[in-house]
Amino acid sequence: MSPLDIVVAGLGSTYRGDDAVGPMVAALFAGVHDDVRDVGPLAEPLDLLGRFDGADLAVVIDAVRSGAPIGTVQVMDIDVAHVNDDGTVEPAVTSTHGIGLVGVLRVARAIDRAPRRLVVVAVEGEAFELGSSMSAAVQAAVPEAFLAVARLIESEQLCA
Amino acid sequence: MTHGTNRNRTVSAEGVARVEGEGSLRVVVHDGTVSEVSLDIFEPPRYFEAMLIGRHYSEAPDITARICGICPVAYQLTACAAMEDALGIVVSDRVQVLRRLLYCGEWIQSHALHVYLLHAPDFLKCQDAVELAERQPSVIERGLALKRTGNLIMETVGGRAVHPVNVRVGGFYSAPEPEAIAALTAPLERALDDALATVQWVAGFDFPAVTGAYRFVALRQDGRYAIDSGRPGSSDGLDVTPQRFAELSVEEHVARSTALHARLDGRSYLTGPLARYALSGSLLPEVVRDAARKAGLGETCANPFQSIVVRALEIAFACHEALRLVAQYEPPVPAADLGITRAGVGTGVTEAPRGLLLHQYEIDGDGNIVRARITPPTSQNQLTIEEDLRRVVEGGLELDDDDLQWRCEQAVRNHDPCISCAAHFLDVVVEHA
Repeated sequence: MSPLDIVVAGLGSTYRGDDAVGPMVAALFAGVHDDVRDVGPLAEPLDLLGRFDGADLAVVIDAVRSGAPIGTVQVMDIDVAHVNDDGTVEPAVTSTHGIGLVGVLRVARAIDRAPRRLVVVAVEGEAFELGSSMSAAVQAAVPEAFLAVARLIESEQLCA
Repeated sequence: MTHGTNRNRTVSAEGVARVEGEGSLRVVVHDGTVSEVSLDIFEPPRYFEAMLIGRHYSEAPDITARICGICPVAYQLTACAAMEDALGIVVSDRVQVLRRLLYCGEWIQSHALHVYLLHAPDFLKCQDAVELAERQPSVIERGLALKRTGNLIMETVGGRAVHPVNVRVGGFYSAPEPEAIAALTAPLERALDDALATVQWVAGFDFPAVTGAYRFVALRQDGRYAIDSGRPGSSDGLDVTPQRFAELSVEEHVARSTALHARLDGRSYLTGPLARYALSGSLLPEVVRDAARKAGLGETCANPFQSIVVRALEIAFACHEALRLVAQYEPPVPAADLGITRAGVGTGVTEAPRGLLLHQYEIDGDGNIVRARITPPTSQNQLTIEEDLRRVVEGGLELDDDDLQWRCEQAVRNHDPCISCAAHFLDVVVEHA
């Protein structure tokens, strides 16, 4: 059986309160599984290009603001082959360098380097100011986010 | 958004894409004359200078690296240079070689990102890199291969590609094994070929006929194209120490912006690839100068739209230079030259991909920071970018609103502004009064 290539990527800044949750959870997987690569804290989705190329599974952990209760963990399986085929997702106007996760996935798909499966583990945050601390609710959500990623890795290994 | 007649118009762009950070652009044309140009920056101010107060000098490289995810090495190495100046540390030649190699990695990845994913879509009438990737996948493949090579250097020398962890005041936490550095040779040889192909590709774009009256400012270094150190110089004869440059470059607050605007001797100036090429282009290796000649560039390039060609030349230079540095690499022993903590003031200057970066710190006898000043390239270039916009609009009044707005945004991207670093961004509004 050939080894799996599983990429765990934490998006966010460790200096911006709840934004640090992605890198924090991803770092917990560094060296835990032979199949798993923690690709370090990524400043923006664009940094995934070249790092999640052709992976069997890419898990992106990120803080979000969706309106859900603070600390809510959501697991979203992205349809890699058809994401945004209808063009309904608008580019993020104020995104740094203007390419969000959907755009990055479309670039990767265009050059045949998209991961086979992409899952976003999103943690609802509230405090993103520079120099702020992680909120208690997001800190309390770290174990749940960790378990969500661990379950994704385990299921991928079982299916291999 | 653009509205009005050709003689009286307002062009505004609220949220200029494909630049780093957030900002907006407003141009007012009254009776056929541009009456107002403003590049408004409204990204929340970055309180890094305040955050540094009370922190130990050794923390400055890692804290300031977080100012920008694209050019962390510039911040790290400029902070190191300033602290070493304050502490009287002179690093070894081997540390300098390794630092310059790390910086080459950042130039390659940052320039490849800008040329392929942010700037080239402007010339090819693509909305973004996604459209370019779908139309020309092999081209984007080449750009991403270049970026990977830059990242590989940063990972090998710096520990990781985003916010490297191996840089410290005085040198490095650990010196890479010679085998790891030697392994960069083959990817860099391929990258040099890709970079030269990039020059040829971008040289074939259509460039609007615009000539800037620039006062170029860049570091100069004896016998080589400055990256990691040098003396600030200008196209009108300035040649000063970093300390004197810090005195002459005065930043001022502008009410509409959360970035500071810098003037040198009270005048605007331009840093970055065009400035470096104008001041040190003769020091580029022959293979790069030959590529410049074939691309149609002279000794100086004052068409801001052709900055993409100069940026591509600098990718080729960085690959060539990195190969030279790899060939002569010997691990520094020790990996860092540590000084004795003392009170002092230090100034550091290096050439970030976007232009000259200045750090100045005052530290107390315990090594704690009591004053910090960080002057990024974008705040130095901002006035010149506004002057460019005025020229572009004045020369483009015959364009319809959409094309004029497109060209205005392009004129901003010509200088690869990093608003995050300066905010200290971009919406475009052309208003015809």
